[in-house]
Amino acid sequence: MTGAVDIGNLTVRYAGATALDDVSLSVAENEMTALIGANGAGKSTLVKALAGLVRPSSGTISVHGRLAHVPEGREMFPDMTVDDNLRLGGWRTRKRNTTPVYDLLPDLAAIRSRKAGSLSGGQQQMVAIGRALMADPDVLVIDELSLGLAPMIVTALVDHLRTLHATRELAVLLIEQNARLALDLCQHAYVLESGRIALHGPAATLARDPRVTAAYLGGHVTVTP
Amino acid sequence: MNRWLVAGVAVVTLALPPLLPERHLATFVLLLLAATVTVGVSLLMGYAGQVSLGQASFYAIGAYAAALPAVHGVPSLLGLALAPVAAAVAAVLLGAPLLRLRGHHLAFATLAVQLILLSLLAQADWAGGAIGLQGIPRLTVLGIELRDLGYAYAAWLVLAIALLIARNVVDSRPGRALRAAATSETAAAASGVAVGRHRLAVFTLSAALAGLAGGVYAFYLGYLSPGSFPVLLSIEFVVMAVVGGLGTLAGPVVGATVIVLLVQLLNTLGTQPGMPDYAPSVLSYAVYALLLITCVLYLPRGLVPALRRLRKADIAR
Amino acid sequence: MSDLLGYLITGLGIGAGFALVASGLVAIHRVTRVVNFAQGGFAVLAALLTSTLLSAGLPHGVAELGGVALGALAGLVVGVVAIGRPGTSPGTALIVTLGLGVLAYAIEVLIWGDQPRSFPGVPGVAEIGGARIPAHYLLIIAVTAVVFALMAWFFARTDLGRALTACASNRYAAQVVGIDVRRMGLLAFTIGGALGGLAGVLTTPVQQVTFDSDVTLIVNGFAAAVLGGLTRPAIALAGGLLLGVTQTVVAGYGGGAYQTEVALVLMLTVMIVQAARTGPVPEMAQ
Repeated sequence: MTGAVDIGNLTVRYAGATALDDVSLSVAENEMTALIGANGAGKSTLVKALAGLVRPSSGTISVHGRLAHVPEGREMFPDMTVDDNLRLGGWRTRKRNTTPVYDLLPDLAAIRSRKAGSLSGGQQQMVAIGRALMADPDVLVIDELSLGLAPMIVTALVDHLRTLHATRELAVLLIEQNARLALDLCQHAYVLESGRIALHGPAATLARDPRVTAAYLGGHVTVTP
Repeated sequence: MNRWLVAGVAVVTLALPPLLPERHLATFVLLLLAATVTVGVSLLMGYAGQVSLGQASFYAIGAYAAALPAVHGVPSLLGLALAPVAAAVAAVLLGAPLLRLRGHHLAFATLAVQLILLSLLAQADWAGGAIGLQGIPRLTVLGIELRDLGYAYAAWLVLAIALLIARNVVDSRPGRALRAAATSETAAAASGVAVGRHRLAVFTLSAALAGLAGGVYAFYLGYLSPGSFPVLLSIEFVVMAVVGGLGTLAGPVVGATVIVLLVQLLNTLGTQPGMPDYAPSVLSYAVYALLLITCVLYLPRGLVPALRRLRKADIAR
Repeated sequence: MSDLLGYLITGLGIGAGFALVASGLVAIHRVTRVVNFAQGGFAVLAALLTSTLLSAGLPHGVAELGGVALGALAGLVVGVVAIGRPGTSPGTALIVTLGLGVLAYAIEVLIWGDQPRSFPGVPGVAEIGGARIPAHYLLIIAVTAVVFALMAWFFARTDLGRALTACASNRYAAQVVGIDVRRMGLLAFTIGGALGGLAGVLTTPVQQVTFDSDVTLIVNGFAAAVLGGLTRPAIALAGGLLLGVTQTVVAGYGGGAYQTEVALVLMLTVMIVQAARTGPVPEMAQ
């Protein structure tokens, strides 16, 4: 199978402890795939391995096209303007024109000359997405989209993501603690537990799987409309 | 540590001085004094996790504290007793504000203290000013005036005292607590260790050791000036501590020995006929620099732990 | 009155030198979290090379540029040794730069000997408001002003400068967007080396240079930089100028013997006040 991202038998060890154990995962082109799991399941390690910030002990990672990363905690350059934050997103591609991103995320245009550190969490998340888009990615990895944000803001962000995904050829890997949100938004999903893939399949199927509902959806079976 | 090895080193170093020619006896004395100061630096760096670039200040304070009363007729042994006390008092007074600082801030603060001390000493006419303090009487113990050999044993005794005290600190509860604090201050503070107080105690102890060594140094040389205590001397102590291995007992002794002997060897080489007159200083700067850099990057725990590991590997094989 | 004006202007000249050393420290520390103890050595190396180039007959300007280039090269070398090995903590790197500073002594004494050196700067005396000031001080002030303006433009308005600022602002985020943080660190060391070199080249005509002049420079530079927490170039500039002026005024009114204490006491006070205000400074970031 060749998707936008193919991870094969990936193992990552930190100082003896195994963070990821024989993980295989694919993100199909032009699809949104969710990776859900509890704190410490190894989600962040997987993202860092994908972004090349952590060296795997074994296994393969192949990415078709360019990958950009929206890191957990948003990771702004707080004392720089939104515009400069976006511009730095184009560092690898030597792209400095920020206009296309303002076209995609019009909310950002209004705050382009504000310092990123002075923005609200939702605005920062938007900047982080915009910054990743500056790299002209074929794959967008979003680490904890909803973490620490109010539900209303999350809804708005999700809408933006849907529109974005519809307007632009883009594969998305969404790493989320909020399983309901992830299963709702994505077509495919993987469940990571203690460094191993416990379950995977179409998001709609997983959303009805009793193991998932018990552990991640608060015990209630939810049926996505 | 291996008891037999310690006893062997003690016997050899006690038997050595009468066999040494006068030139090498001086090296012997200065080596032991440097090792004494380094014991303190090593405790400070290894147990309090802090770099002091001003340890020579306490060496200087001890030296002047011993020499000044003696010049004015106070019994020299009393002067020597004053040396560690004066250095310790200075350390308590300075440590209270300075030890709030960490890392490079503390490094620069201790350097600043030394530069201020040197500048004040150079202007203090009562301490001989920039020219220095001359005519310091010899150390008299029980009515006997010490000669070169006497200083060798005095320095030996001083180092032995320093090592005994250090061993007690290392084995004590505060010692273990400090070692924990050196690796993670937050964790130590969370476990209720009075980090600040222990750190001040180690700082004071290391100053007292430097002061005591400084006292012997003053009587041995009979002449002191601010120029005897350059910043580079403080750096030398750090190099010796790092090269030997921080927080170990044998480390300072090994570090001081390796460096003093190496510098001595290069000095002999550098003063050979035909060598330019700057050769000795160039060679010693290079040795300090290269040893420090190599050790910090490639043997971060120093020679002693590295040698110990090697020996263990040998036994295992 | 004209005495005071004279002290002020010469003080600004001396302080500009400190400010350049300080801004080099800041440039390196911001990006790498390393306090570069060898910073004063760049000034000494640059000044010594310039004196050699001038006596070899090279014209002014070219010789000075050669000195600054050597400073930049030395900065790069120090950077490679100090942060080139992955996993070197800033604390370890500080000790490494200390060692490199001593190594510079060996090289300097080997090539240039241990006697003080100097070379002529801008000749002549300028008269400003009744004060007679060696014209070279005005050159120091002018060049420093231009360099700081250029730096402000570089760090805020160019891609490379923004990338350096990004590393300083959020190292992890810089990695996320694909900036090679270690390479930026080396660039910062090179810039720091050039700034240190410039300080040495500019001030040597009014103050001799010896291989161990670096201690005064690094101490004054650190004192100026620490005012802004080692991260703010503008405050480092203000701090350097303040130090220079205070020292010159103190010396001018008869306290010459206590000139260095001014910087040292200021540095200690600032650090202790900062520590008291923020609580114990956390251990250097790993």
